[in-house]
Amino acid sequence: MKISFTVGIFSFIILLIVSCKPPVSDRINKEASKISISKLPENPLELTPLAVSLQPEAQTMATLYGNSTAAKRLKDGADYAAGSVLYLVTWKGKADPDWFGAKIPDRVITVERIFIGQNGKKNYAFFKGPAHNTGLEMKKDDRESAILSIPVAISP
Amino acid sequence: MKLKFKIVLCILALVLLAQLIRPEEISLAKTPQAKALTGVPQKIAKILETSCFDCHSDQTQWRWFDRLTPVNFLVASHIRDGRKSLDFSHWDSLATPQRNAMLYFALNGILSKEMPLSSYTALHPAAKLNPEDIDLLKTYLLNNAVSKPADVENAEKATEKQAVQGVKKSPNGIAYLPDYRNWKAISTTERFDNGTIRIIFGNPVAVEAIRTGKINPWPDGTIFAKTAWKQQKAKDGSVYAGQFVQVEFMIKNAKQYAHTKGWGWARWKGENLLPYGKTVKFDTECISCHRPERNNDYVFTTPLAINDLNRK
Repeated sequence: MKISFTVGIFSFIILLIVSCKPPVSDRINKEASKISISKLPENPLELTPLAVSLQPEAQTMATLYGNSTAAKRLKDGADYAAGSVLYLVTWKGKADPDWFGAKIPDRVITVERIFIGQNGKKNYAFFKGPAHNTGLEMKKDDRESAILSIPVAISP
Repeated sequence: MKLKFKIVLCILALVLLAQLIRPEEISLAKTPQAKALTGVPQKIAKILETSCFDCHSDQTQWRWFDRLTPVNFLVASHIRDGRKSLDFSHWDSLATPQRNAMLYFALNGILSKEMPLSSYTALHPAAKLNPEDIDLLKTYLLNNAVSKPADVENAEKATEKQAVQGVKKSPNGIAYLPDYRNWKAISTTERFDNGTIRIIFGNPVAVEAIRTGKINPWPDGTIFAKTAWKQQKAKDGSVYAGQFVQVEFMIKNAKQYAHTKGWGWARWKGENLLPYGKTVKFDTECISCHRPERNNDYVFTTPLAINDLNRK
């Protein structure tokens, strides 16, 4: 009887300790991280961030990512060389719950990929994100030149 | 009985004598001249005056109970600390962006329920803000203190980068970390309060901590680099990262930085990467701003699940 009582108390204490653990997962922006990776050749979030942009009318925010070849542009300012892979991930923006005066990424609207092959041949692909609106029209040629002309974020 | 009476009398005499010892602030305190904040509507100025000015300006209204020794020493120390992190006394000499930054800082202190201190409002109930006061402050800031991006041509300005040589250490001894641009972006932020756009970079230790979900506390070796650029508007209406403003680092080492909440704090400003801070203890400013996040290991950023949710 005594033993089962002690075991019971112990289990209760352990349960309390476990249930009191801070909910770490709440501090990860999971919604903004869902980009349907199974459809993409690479995970853009793992590439080097090159530029950030805002589209005030659409209330979206975007980050331009690149592979190591594309990231050379950060150092030398030259055009994207053959072998460059670029991704533009566009999110809906939302109010930062921790700072009045800031916006952070919400759900992903689109993921766009450009691969620059030999002789500068470009390959553009478009992927819908979870927050994609079917009314959104994306013209391949416009998007290609828009993405390639995004000014990279220069830091000293 | 006689002895008890004597003891009580002695204590009373001591308490009365103690009243001669007072903190400098109270000895010098004159009746403060009510000076409203210029450039803001009276309603807004009044809210700040009632809720913040006792500890965050030179216009402290000392109540009779605040003046009693030893309470007055506690009050004086609160005021000293309060004015270190936010001080409305120099409002008139500040430029608009600095004034706006103060207002956003004050409002965020209120929204995080850090301010006004509950120990203060217990004795000064008038300083409590009601939801209408908070809405007034929010609306005022959204309508009057939103920084607009600079209007410039959409010209690609990528040129060969000259690395800054010999970047000086931060006053607290932290050396500049030039490799952060090779790290992952754990989040981005639009700051409409000060017209910047930011990338928060995380080093490999930070990315691994995110993957395993062990981010509260963040493990030793975690480093964040928060980089801010001025917003720059292009012809098509989009906004890009323009002029580089600053990079701020948070370096986790629970033992080494135990006296600064487990983090080493540093900031380098401008194209020349000048270290921020005049004294070794400049980082109290960083901690004061990050204090509302103390349950999140002093980190504001809610990171993207870079390689967790998306791994095949």
